[in-house]
Amino acid sequence: MIAETDTKVGSEPIVGRRNGQGAPSPLRAAVSRLRWALPYLPILPALIALLVMLGYPVLLVILISFQKFGFAELIQHKTTYIGITNYIQILRDPFFLAVVVRTVLFTLSVVGLTVVLGTLVALLMDRLGGRMRLLLSIGMILAWATPIVASTVIFQWLFDSKLGVINWLLTRIGLFGDFTNYSWFTTGFSTFAIITLLIVWQAIPFVAFSLYAGILSIPRELYETARVDGADEWTMFRHITLPILAPLFMILVFLSAIWDFKVFTQVYAMRQGGPAGQTVTLSLYAYIQGISQSQFGRAAAASVIMVLLLLIVLVPYIRRLLRTLET
Amino acid sequence: MRARIARRVAVNLAALVAFVLFAFPVYWMMSTAFKQGSDIQSYTPKFIPWPPTLENFVTAVTRENFGDYARNSLVVTLTTVALALVVGLLAAYAVARARFRGRKGFLLLVVIAQMAPFEALLIPMFLVLRGLHLLNQLPALVITYFIFTLPFTIWSLRGFIAGIPVELEEAAMVDGASRAQAFFKVVLPLLGPGLVATSIFGFITAWNEFLFAYTVMRDNANYTLPVWLVSFQTAFGTDWGGTMAASTLFTLPVLIFFLIIQNRMVGGVTAGAVKG
Repeated sequence: MIAETDTKVGSEPIVGRRNGQGAPSPLRAAVSRLRWALPYLPILPALIALLVMLGYPVLLVILISFQKFGFAELIQHKTTYIGITNYIQILRDPFFLAVVVRTVLFTLSVVGLTVVLGTLVALLMDRLGGRMRLLLSIGMILAWATPIVASTVIFQWLFDSKLGVINWLLTRIGLFGDFTNYSWFTTGFSTFAIITLLIVWQAIPFVAFSLYAGILSIPRELYETARVDGADEWTMFRHITLPILAPLFMILVFLSAIWDFKVFTQVYAMRQGGPAGQTVTLSLYAYIQGISQSQFGRAAAASVIMVLLLLIVLVPYIRRLLRTLET
Repeated sequence: MRARIARRVAVNLAALVAFVLFAFPVYWMMSTAFKQGSDIQSYTPKFIPWPPTLENFVTAVTRENFGDYARNSLVVTLTTVALALVVGLLAAYAVARARFRGRKGFLLLVVIAQMAPFEALLIPMFLVLRGLHLLNQLPALVITYFIFTLPFTIWSLRGFIAGIPVELEEAAMVDGASRAQAFFKVVLPLLGPGLVATSIFGFITAWNEFLFAYTVMRDNANYTLPVWLVSFQTAFGTDWGGTMAASTLFTLPVLIFFLIIQNRMVGGVTAGAVKG
């Protein structure tokens, strides 16, 4: 397991360690006085990198969000602070508000579907024999490992209006009518449906594998005792699996929410936010405003709002992580 | 007894359906890649690419600049991984083995950096790179991806180092080895699997990244493979054979690497969750 909580951290301090050989020369004494600095040297490159290349952009995005910063300002290197004008402008823009609501709803449905379906797959894995479980795992790894850009292109092909295999299949099944030449990308809703399907398809494996590993850690006797007492599957899930795995569920919901809220590639590569801007989410909005239209100030304000919304999820998650860091 | 058999059949059937749902899109990509043009254009889909052809792969690879894109992707990815590994290893070793003031603060910084929404930092990072005159140049991507992967690299290596008993280093140092020698002769060899797993993660992140590559690399010849793949699709929207062959080529290295470390991927991100 990567990044397993360690138990040995710091049990061997570098500081103050001496081999105690030779007479103390002045140079040696000076060196040993500087020993406290020793552990800081190796973390220095990482620290500088994080502060300069991550800390500075964070500061910059906040500053720019309070500036009039368009193409003219970029060329002339002018800095004009305009207070919260950018924020007022975008918050008054009905399109931006629609984007925020849409992004939140989209995140909720993706996270909900991912966690519910991931749980079902994990429970299924627990009930399978070794060979079927391996088969299912291989299928999930295929879905999980496919690069996002590739999987987006694959879904465009699957849902192609003329030659797509999905339209052929739905027409063959016939329950939903004739799908010959049906175009999935003409309405925002159906485009979102496909993007949701794509993201959920690739997100289930991680959730399912994690939960399956969690289920394996639950003592089997608990279930056996419950079964003797006449509990059915649902009761056992509600009263044994769910409470024991609650912390794990929490982490998976947090992580999924963080990942799905800021998703860019799948949405953009699918239809560039189309049709008619109906699948523009927050990160696409910032991209279009900033990079396509050089409205850097407004794009920065949108980014800051995005981060603030994200913090609602992030703060409890980081507090949780901190607690595990302490133990 | 009958109920139990029925249950087993139902469970296995569900697993089979789930397998098909997960695997089919990937199968469809690969089978389309090997199909004849006429079979792709057919209104009744052909499920097995027979007789197979390499034509689509030839189309994909002989497209203009493909060699450049592949080279760009490889150079950026490998440089990123190497850089993150060196810088990350130094920090991870100090954090795992030494106790110093600010250690917890540093770890907190790493955790937060790992969660940082880089999508929200696109605008300032674009402006910074522009100010450094790095737009449209590969080092811009190396810098960006290095910062993306560094936090995880530190976090992950720290866990692996902590898993190596300190006593081994102590024994080496009692025998007269310096700390540096103990690190290179004792810790580093034992860290092999950890380095592999960590660098594969970095590889996958850098190899797949689209947004920054798309934003920073404006010039056609400087694209990386993900940008090429998306533009390939939009430029030749109807050439599904070529697109799927290109996707297959792009997916293959990731798939191979993923299989090597997949059992480590799961525990990594959620470690400590069950205990919390």
